[in-house]
Amino acid sequence: MNAAILAQVVVNGLLLGGLYAAIAAGFSLVWGVLNVVNMLHGSAVVLGAYAAFFGWQLGINPFLAALLVGPAIGLLGWVVQRFIVQRVIAAPVLITLVLTFALDLILNNAMLAAFTADYRKIGSITGLPPLIVGSVAISADRLIAAVLGIAATFAVHLYLTRSRLGRAIVAVRMDQETARLMGVKVEHIYALTFGLGLALAGVAGCLIAAVFPISPLNSGSYLGVAFVACVLGGLGSVNGAIIGGLVLGVVESLGSMLVGAEYGVTVASVLLILMLLWRPQGLLGRAGYD
Amino acid sequence: MDRRSFLAGSVATVAASSFATAQSADEIRIGAPLPLTGPLAPEGRKQKRGYDLWAAEVMKRGGVEVGNKKLPVRIIYSDYQSATPRGVQACEFLVNQEKAQFLFAPFGSGAAKAGSAIAERYKIPMLAATASSREVYDQGFKYLFGTFTPNETLTDPLAALVVAKAPAVKKVAIFSRNDLLPLSLATALREGVKRHKLDLVFDEKFAIGALDFAAPLTQMRAAAPDWIFVGGYINDLIQVRTQMRELGLKSQVLTMIAGPAYEEYIQALKGAAENVSSASWWHPSVRYEGEDMFGSTQKYVETFKAAYNGDVPDYAEASASAIGAILQLALKKTGTTDGPAVRDALAAMNVKTFWGPVHFGPSGQIDSLTPPVFQIQGGKTVVLLPDEVKQGDLKLGIS
Repeated sequence: MNAAILAQVVVNGLLLGGLYAAIAAGFSLVWGVLNVVNMLHGSAVVLGAYAAFFGWQLGINPFLAALLVGPAIGLLGWVVQRFIVQRVIAAPVLITLVLTFALDLILNNAMLAAFTADYRKIGSITGLPPLIVGSVAISADRLIAAVLGIAATFAVHLYLTRSRLGRAIVAVRMDQETARLMGVKVEHIYALTFGLGLALAGVAGCLIAAVFPISPLNSGSYLGVAFVACVLGGLGSVNGAIIGGLVLGVVESLGSMLVGAEYGVTVASVLLILMLLWRPQGLLGRAGYD
Repeated sequence: MDRRSFLAGSVATVAASSFATAQSADEIRIGAPLPLTGPLAPEGRKQKRGYDLWAAEVMKRGGVEVGNKKLPVRIIYSDYQSATPRGVQACEFLVNQEKAQFLFAPFGSGAAKAGSAIAERYKIPMLAATASSREVYDQGFKYLFGTFTPNETLTDPLAALVVAKAPAVKKVAIFSRNDLLPLSLATALREGVKRHKLDLVFDEKFAIGALDFAAPLTQMRAAAPDWIFVGGYINDLIQVRTQMRELGLKSQVLTMIAGPAYEEYIQALKGAAENVSSASWWHPSVRYEGEDMFGSTQKYVETFKAAYNGDVPDYAEASASAIGAILQLALKKTGTTDGPAVRDALAAMNVKTFWGPVHFGPSGQIDSLTPPVFQIQGGKTVVLLPDEVKQGDLKLGIS
């Protein structure tokens, strides 16, 4: 492989990784703070993508639609946590996993019924030809989507570290009993975090809609991406999700080049296993943090 | 269970089975599992339009002639959402629950192959409108018949044409969906590449359902092929073509199968579809006279246009109508709806139809057609081969 191909493959992977970061961040946050493996996450990404698609049909740019779709799906997440997930929040992790899996089935089948399994595709948004940098071609739509994906994730990181509520979320993640003693309303923080997680999924969906076709059939692969990137970056770490997403994008890209295009998912799965064996807390996670 | 419940249940069971028998005696029930939603929905809906047109025309004429009476036809659809395992379940459901006497196969080679085992088990004749791979027919099954010729009948004329019209083409890239038809097409083309002493510089597969092709297309770009051949279905091909443009990947010849014959492909890609070459099993410009209900290719095209707001039929739609017309001819000949008898009539068939001459080889696959090669020029499909229906010459280069 010469340098020109390598540069193109790495750029392809980074552009994909930006989207993966946005998908993983919300999932990681919910897992880290609530100790809930949110199986609903992939379908929430697809729901966001549909919202962007229908918005685009009304003339709304999908990148701008993310500003509306994110909060709307975030509100849905808040309601789901407050009235459903909260009821089993103290139960073993398998119970919450089964519950969110059931919710995922309901949402996914509702989307199948409402929108069918057909692919929907937003055409080129910018209408620009690829940017050529040296020998590297970069799709303008993909570049914007990736940058916005990382920006949205970083914005959540800033919210967590700079705002009062964000710091409360971090406090609950670190030690919910002590946070409660310090006056933090933990139930409120749980609902807020779940909402924030799904809001990020909605934003990721809008960005994905700008690049790939949409179908409820894809929700499983987005959930898989969230899992792997979250484990790579570190459970509950939003910055880790950025790193995990970018690493996953580049590994997938390099893997499909070196091993074969049909083995991208296999390469990601092997990476997940290796990571769990070598550093289960992830690249930016801390051992024993919970 | 008490005696009264048992008796009531028995009476209901007998009544239900009599009802099913009565139904099957009064009408021709055909099961049609199709991918009406999901990634293969564009193809599935095309087949449905073809079947519906045939059924509607049959009903206009009072039904299918069987013996001394005319029976109405009922096509019972089952959407398997583009998932082959569900397609097999749909075949079983249509035979057992819906009492289908005949089956129109699920879409494409992979699903048709999977579903054909059900037809064989219940001795139900199954007609496949969109299965071309030899692997579908080489199973030794007696009840499966298909209207698409083997894949090399598409790739061999294409390779000969490219070599003749574009002598500068030396390096070939093959990129295929990991599915029965595309892999079989790739195998057939690989043989052609070897025979014509061309250089195969890239040969890769992509996973079913893949959406991102950036990495393999980057690798393909580095190999600088003169001829790029992509095998898949319409959604794959649109996505691959779009991403080729994003990466600035060009070649002298770009061939894609199957999908460029569809108007949806041209509409989705607009200028990017220009000069994409392909081959199919039929084209509306061919001219066949037939003994079937439609009479001739020209009359079939007119009937189709009248039924579907002026749309011109493509090969998938025409093949679907053709299998209906072929089944109709077999039923007329046997004078019965008995599965094995109709199967024998299909196996012995040698007739002319609007689809072309129909004769099934020993494996059940049609062996009597010459598929046309075409290219998208000026937003329209232009036939390049065979010479009798040629509309233009091969143009080189893609944008």
